Amino acid sequence: MNLRSFLVSLLWALLLVVCISPQRLVFAANAIEDTPSGTLYLRRSAQEPVTEALRLATRMQVQVTGNVARVHVQQEFSNTGEDWVEGLYVFPLSKDGAVDELLMRIGERTIRGEVQEKAKAQALYNDARAEGRRASIVEQERPNLFTSAVANIAPHTTATIEITYLETLPFRDGRYTLNLPLAITPRYTPGAPQDATAEMPAATAAIMNAALGTSATPEKVKAARQRVSIEIDLEPGFALGEVSSLHHAVETQSAPSGKRVLLHTDDAPADRDFELTWTQAAEKEVAGAAFAERIGGETFALLMLSTPQQLDEAVPPREVTFIIDTSGSMQGPSIEQARAALSMGIDRLKQSDRFNVIRFASDYSKLFSSPQPVTDKSRALASGFVAGLSANGGTEMRAPLETALSSPSDPELLQQIIFITDGSVGNEAELIKLIHDRIGEKRLFTVGIGAAPNAYFLGEAAIAGRGSYTFIAERDQVGARMRDLFAKLEHPALIDLKVQWPGGMGVDLAAPLPMDLYSGDPIVVLARMPQIASGEVVLSGLVRGTRWTQRLPLTSVGEASGLSKLWARERIGTLSRQMHFGGDAEPLKAAIVDLALTYHLVTDFTSLVAVDDEVVRSAGSPGHVEQAATSAPVGGAWATVGFAKTATDAEVWLCAGLVCLGLSLLLTYTRFRRPAGERRPA
Amino acid sequence: MSGGASRRVDSLLKAAAIAAFAAGVTCLAAGAWIPIKAWAAQLLIDAAWRREHALSQIAAPWPWADTRPVAKLTVGEGTAATTLIVLEGSSGRNLAFGPVHDAASVAPGALGNSVIEGHRDTHFKMLRASKPGNRVTIEALDGSQSVFVVTDVRIVDSRRTRIVLDTDAALLTLVTCYPFDAINPGGPLRWIVTAERLRPKPALASIRRIN
Repeated sequence: MNLRSFLVSLLWALLLVVCISPQRLVFAANAIEDTPSGTLYLRRSAQEPVTEALRLATRMQVQVTGNVARVHVQQEFSNTGEDWVEGLYVFPLSKDGAVDELLMRIGERTIRGEVQEKAKAQALYNDARAEGRRASIVEQERPNLFTSAVANIAPHTTATIEITYLETLPFRDGRYTLNLPLAITPRYTPGAPQDATAEMPAATAAIMNAALGTSATPEKVKAARQRVSIEIDLEPGFALGEVSSLHHAVETQSAPSGKRVLLHTDDAPADRDFELTWTQAAEKEVAGAAFAERIGGETFALLMLSTPQQLDEAVPPREVTFIIDTSGSMQGPSIEQARAALSMGIDRLKQSDRFNVIRFASDYSKLFSSPQPVTDKSRALASGFVAGLSANGGTEMRAPLETALSSPSDPELLQQIIFITDGSVGNEAELIKLIHDRIGEKRLFTVGIGAAPNAYFLGEAAIAGRGSYTFIAERDQVGARMRDLFAKLEHPALIDLKVQWPGGMGVDLAAPLPMDLYSGDPIVVLARMPQIASGEVVLSGLVRGTRWTQRLPLTSVGEASGLSKLWARERIGTLSRQMHFGGDAEPLKAAIVDLALTYHLVTDFTSLVAVDDEVVRSAGSPGHVEQAATSAPVGGAWATVGFAKTATDAEVWLCAGLVCLGLSLLLTYTRFRRPAGERRPA
Repeated sequence: MSGGASRRVDSLLKAAAIAAFAAGVTCLAAGAWIPIKAWAAQLLIDAAWRREHALSQIAAPWPWADTRPVAKLTVGEGTAATTLIVLEGSSGRNLAFGPVHDAASVAPGALGNSVIEGHRDTHFKMLRASKPGNRVTIEALDGSQSVFVVTDVRIVDSRRTRIVLDTDAALLTLVTCYPFDAINPGGPLRWIVTAERLRPKPALASIRRIN
């Protein structure tokens, strides 16, 4: 062989090695899993610390009109580096929000996003990214957790997207509340078998991998301060009483028809959810309201009123099981709040009641083997047990819930379960189904603890458990909130709710009417009527055995109010619930997709995607993916570390080596198999 | 087919075969280098550990090393025991040489959670056999020993889990990648062995028979 052909083959060899270098293989295998393994770092030394080029700022503008809020979330992705970047961000949104709009701003132009089925949206986005066009996509990861991605952000430029959602603001426990989630408590997904010592077959590992949702974008959570600014225009339609922000210092200005609330930013802690509450100036009971939006021959109606207050009466004796979460995510202030709530709960029990306490983390234990009467001795034992609770370990909720739900019930007693947790679990659907299937005559009440509890899980668990939920964000709220909860616990305030629509017409309810309503809980009904409707809606029910009626005239509102979208969002929630409870998945999914496409909504199966026609990056790679960190909730639970990459690429190299040798053998074989006349000795 | 074209095809095939062979050998060498490096580094580090003991001062395992041994880790007992020297700082480079102690966590044996990570296909391959009840021994720089007993072995998704550092007990958490025989080195699962420190037994010397 002459020198030239040797050099050529050497070059070929080098090229091959570069093409199949393990980093590339890894990157292809988990596209957005680990940013440091992205292609950008291929040419850098492995030792060089990774500097993050992506910065993210969030701006929220909220318009509150009556009982509906329209929230605009603006996300600004700034690329401060020298390379093109694809920005990725996982963020929390309201659990009930109807996400219906995505705007991508490029200079003076605005590109409006479209709702598409998830796979199609992904394809549109990927094509645009590959072709060097600007594109963005918004996907739903979990009901209250979303991902946004922006492709082709040029070096030293900023890309801005705006996501919009609608939400109803019910009157609950004597006030209106607007909640803007800002932080994420990372979710714990049980799934690893408790006894991992038994050798796990490869197939099981694959199933587990699938069950753990390796396709999902991980939350990248940092105990850092995120840049957020918030502006709220409050036009409630009545004279405002007290307006207060629970966790953030805000500036309040007077406006012609309400108030303007501003959160000034740079050092506003985004490590807890933003919560604004307001009340009416007049101390009278809120009468409630009924709104109607008329679109193309149909009417969408929203009814909102508060459950009638009841007088304090003798309550039947009850059996209360407290379940308290002592997992690692509850460390710091959360476990203190939980302990305080639990102590207060036990203090409020009466002599005729019975009770028990179950604590859980990776395992669970009970205070008493079965519920005990309330005596000085049992109270003392309980307070010792509560004082000894510390937060540590995983969040295995299933076993304690099963225990509480399956304990034999005494028909003489009201069976109530009070579940105190931050709800940081990933297997929400499984747990909600468990509660739904086993609740029987018991009732489950959830108490959300901490700076950023999983509101979706706590709300759904309370619906499935036919109870109600309460949130306690700070230590000094424990007393007031536990009083709210105990007022609900006394008895369902309203049962057998019925709604009579104008002209007795049949309507399409977004969700079935609630079976039990508790004191202070709102009544929210969304309905679609097949014709133009006007007149009066009559609600009736039983309060302590006596009939209660309320008449509400339908007030017409404009098309911009978005009642049709709210109706569709609620209906999608109902369909998803049926899916979780074991309904036939395919037709339910088809119905959800159909509603989402008609009413332009982001769901589990549909995403918003915006792509530009102009090519901004004509050559080169779309750059690496960078994920902006989401704030972790305040508290001590964040003295944690992540995981190093504890596998070498030795096996990848060995496999690649064997493949190459095999290829070489195959080529040599082919060469010698060619007819002898066509081959010349070298 | 003309002779010229045939020759071109032939020489192309030959070049490709040689190229693939060269690439194959290069890859195999790169793959084989990793376990060799892991093994050789432990020998050098072990020497540094002895030197450190002899001189009672911090010794670097090789002149240009920017890490240092912090503890001697023994997993298992008797003939099944594996002893490794743990390095400070969980960088990818340190991991190539030995198990590493996460500098954010407490020193092994202290109150709190001490985190030690290692490669699943070199140093920490033996963690596969860990079961609750097994012994893990740590020898600190000053020669003091602490004995831990494995309390939990589990698999977690590293993207959804974090290791809590503030614990009420003295814990040792050994982490490696999972599955042990996967080819892809970037998988999200981790094999976690948690061990709790045994309370030091009352020294035998303090018990004396009184006649």
